[in-house]
Amino acid sequence: MKTKHLRAIGLLIVTGIFILAWVFPIFWSVLNSLKNEQDVLAYPPKLFFEPTLAAYRSVLFGPQSILPNLWSSFVISAGTTVLTMAIAIPAAYALARLRVPGSRWAGFYVLATQMLPPVGIIIPYFLILRNIGWMDTYQGIILIYLSFSLPFAIWLMVSYFEDIPFEMEEAAAVDGASRLTTLRRIILPQVQGGIAVTIVFVFLNAWNEFLFAVVLSGNTVRPVTIAMFNFVSVEQTLWTQLAAVSVIAMLPVVILGILAQKHIVKGLTVGAVKGGGRR
Amino acid sequence: MNGLGKVRFEDVVKMHGSFAALKGVDFEIEPGEFFALLGPSGSGKSTTLRILAGLDMPTRGRVVLDDQDVTAQDARERDVAMVFQSYALYPHMTVAQNIAFPLEMEKKSKAEIEPLVREAARKVRIDHLLDRRPGQLSGGQRQRVAIGRAIVREPAAFLFDEPLSNLDAALRVGMRLEISELHQRLKTTMVYVTHDQVEAMTMADKIVVLRAGKVEQVGSPLDLYTAPQNTFVAGFIGSPKMNLVTGAEAQRYGVETIGIRPEHVTLSTTEGAWTGTVKVAEHLGSDTFLHVESPIHHEPLTVRAGGEFPVHHGDTVYLTPQEDKLHRFDGQGLAIR
Amino acid sequence: MSLAEPVAAPSGAAFSPPRAVGLDLMARRERRFAAALLAPAFVALAATTTFPLLFLVWTSTFRMDLAMPFMDGFVGIENYRQLFADPRFWQSLSVSMIYTVTTVIAQVILGLALALLVMNMKRGQGLFRFIAILPVVLSPAVVGMVWRSFMLTPEFGVVDYLSISAGLGSQNWLGDPFLALVSVIVIHTWQWTPFAFMVLLASLASLPDDIYEAARIDRAGPWQRFWRITLPLLRPAIVMVIIMRTMVALTAFAAIFTVTGGGPGTATEILNLYAYRKSFTELSIGYGSALAVALLIVTILISAVLFLIRRAK
Repeated sequence: MKTKHLRAIGLLIVTGIFILAWVFPIFWSVLNSLKNEQDVLAYPPKLFFEPTLAAYRSVLFGPQSILPNLWSSFVISAGTTVLTMAIAIPAAYALARLRVPGSRWAGFYVLATQMLPPVGIIIPYFLILRNIGWMDTYQGIILIYLSFSLPFAIWLMVSYFEDIPFEMEEAAAVDGASRLTTLRRIILPQVQGGIAVTIVFVFLNAWNEFLFAVVLSGNTVRPVTIAMFNFVSVEQTLWTQLAAVSVIAMLPVVILGILAQKHIVKGLTVGAVKGGGRR
Repeated sequence: MNGLGKVRFEDVVKMHGSFAALKGVDFEIEPGEFFALLGPSGSGKSTTLRILAGLDMPTRGRVVLDDQDVTAQDARERDVAMVFQSYALYPHMTVAQNIAFPLEMEKKSKAEIEPLVREAARKVRIDHLLDRRPGQLSGGQRQRVAIGRAIVREPAAFLFDEPLSNLDAALRVGMRLEISELHQRLKTTMVYVTHDQVEAMTMADKIVVLRAGKVEQVGSPLDLYTAPQNTFVAGFIGSPKMNLVTGAEAQRYGVETIGIRPEHVTLSTTEGAWTGTVKVAEHLGSDTFLHVESPIHHEPLTVRAGGEFPVHHGDTVYLTPQEDKLHRFDGQGLAIR
Repeated sequence: MSLAEPVAAPSGAAFSPPRAVGLDLMARRERRFAAALLAPAFVALAATTTFPLLFLVWTSTFRMDLAMPFMDGFVGIENYRQLFADPRFWQSLSVSMIYTVTTVIAQVILGLALALLVMNMKRGQGLFRFIAILPVVLSPAVVGMVWRSFMLTPEFGVVDYLSISAGLGSQNWLGDPFLALVSVIVIHTWQWTPFAFMVLLASLASLPDDIYEAARIDRAGPWQRFWRITLPLLRPAIVMVIIMRTMVALTAFAAIFTVTGGGPGTATEILNLYAYRKSFTELSIGYGSALAVALLIVTILISAVLFLIRRAK
């Protein structure tokens, strides 16, 4: 009896630590974002205080509003997602379901492109975009975002296409459907869920991206990930506002992550070499 | 009905890389015939069906449908319908939409399609399931939908790819009868692939026996039963299998191998041409099957007795083959008449 | 059919296989369709990955200093010779190795321990899976910023507060070279352990029960069951996690950049960061390209080794 109780208590403690460790930083940021300037600097750190939305007001509507940044992030992420899906879905279908000689090599190629370290891409991109005047443009940054979102989206969609029973195309062919009609009316409706999950992950990865944004951004292209630095400088850190920006930056991806909960493992593990997102 | 459904398969060769799936297959199907493609796995029967359907193209040879060379014609253009082994129903569509799909591909209007769908559903008795999705149906119901989708087009020929192999035994017998009845009613050519010789024997007008990409024999079920042209067909058709005896006993008849079916051996406990010991006795009530160990052959002989034959393991029995039912085969396994 | 004559099989002539043929008409049609579908993707991939890579190798053979353009020009493999003699390169390589190895091992061990723990819980598994999602979907940049500011800032940060309360005193978490490295490793581990946790939990859940029952009947104790049954069965999943996390750790950027920027000095400067700083802070793009190429080669070598290990299992 005693060991059973001990085990239960031990389990509870470890559980508590786990939850605490992984929830706390996020929780603490949210708390800090709701404090006023004094409370945030209080020592020892305050858990209970009078919440205020002052930080959010400042960050969203104040002089250093991040609304343009949010819009910029949205344009980049949405643009990347749309372009990626338009290219990746047909390509993934061809790789997964059509008899193509050399499709194995094509598959390896897609896989290999994921091994290129981002810093290896950003250097040539920087030089090229500078020369053709596409620095600080949406088309420039969406183009480079394709370098990581395309291979990922292709691999993820391939796994969804492969789940469809293999005789679908043949039944449709015997029924008289053209290849395009088959893809449109028979295959795509069956991977709707997969498409939704892929969209979530592509958007998420684009939203979170940092390195390319740091190098290529300017007045037009300024996603939220670099907006944080507006609130940190050598002289001072605007703590509550920094917290508010962090929370706002986290919000879309957390919501998407919760929506795609059941598919997280699949989305993260596909694409054998890289998974989970951009560093 | 669109076409007559006359099929000619001329000397078709199909290579997959260096592997020869079909080595010169040749047969004819008369309009309205129920034609079975029978053979063990790997014999090329599914490959043949796929080429007939237009899903694959032969490496050499011709496929002629209703006097038209369709060898290069894609499945989309061909006037055949197919029932797949896994049914291949469209899971995101209702039963009605599944059946309507081929008609939509023919660019028929909604007004035309609706009554045809209803009619086809009635013929396979699923008209009460039209609004369901395939996922909500049982195996037998799904198969009916697959058949309904095939018949709604009234094609020149129906192709069946081992349709009963996914059903349990009881359902299988029932569906066999239904498909046969359907054939009687529609009178359309049906090409039916199976590895089960009972299915082929009971349903087909004509059977082609395939092995390793070659035609072993073409003929009616009765032809294959009474006059097999080689030892393979002789051993493949008929259950239990024909006894094929080599060695001294065959020499006595002047040939390499003799064959006698279990049901053509007379049993006696007193006297007979061959003698042996009962190894296993299977008493079914309606029949008795004995597996007899005998010096004339290295494997036990199978013998059938009508009704109950009271012998047991270890008993000595005497077997006499009916001379007029004895088959003779030469060194190559070919029949000698 | 006359008597005593063997009856020939209908396909009488002996079969001679035809010479090797190319694709038949139907296969060619299908290939055309597939090519049309694949073309945009390959053009896009070539343009966004292959072409830049070739360009990178090209620029690595140049001296290209945006600050001092009068020295620019083709230098062949001079950059690479310089690289081999560069102590900062070797240090960044060793930092990369330490960082990668430490965080991957930590992620796997922690993730496995947690997965085993949660596996045996009757209720609450859903809660854990929910919590695990949060860190992995966040931007590493935001994670870095949050840790740097709210957790590790002396006195203000929670970690420092806990350290003071525990009697260890305030530490310069990001200013001391050793502690800085520990900090970035901890941050990276914090963010990605839930990933290992989720993957291993899913893998554990898919293990068949009957093996364990058979083992219990064979009177194997819980430790033995873990060691001889669970672990070997989990090996494919563990190897996959290792491969994936290694790739990510080698090219980690945001998480370190936002926290320490590579400092203090070069204490947390992994090769990735060194290449970046060389190119965009010191504006020596030629040499920076060479560093990036070196990183690519290291990545390829390591993934080759890992894939071989995976195949050997």
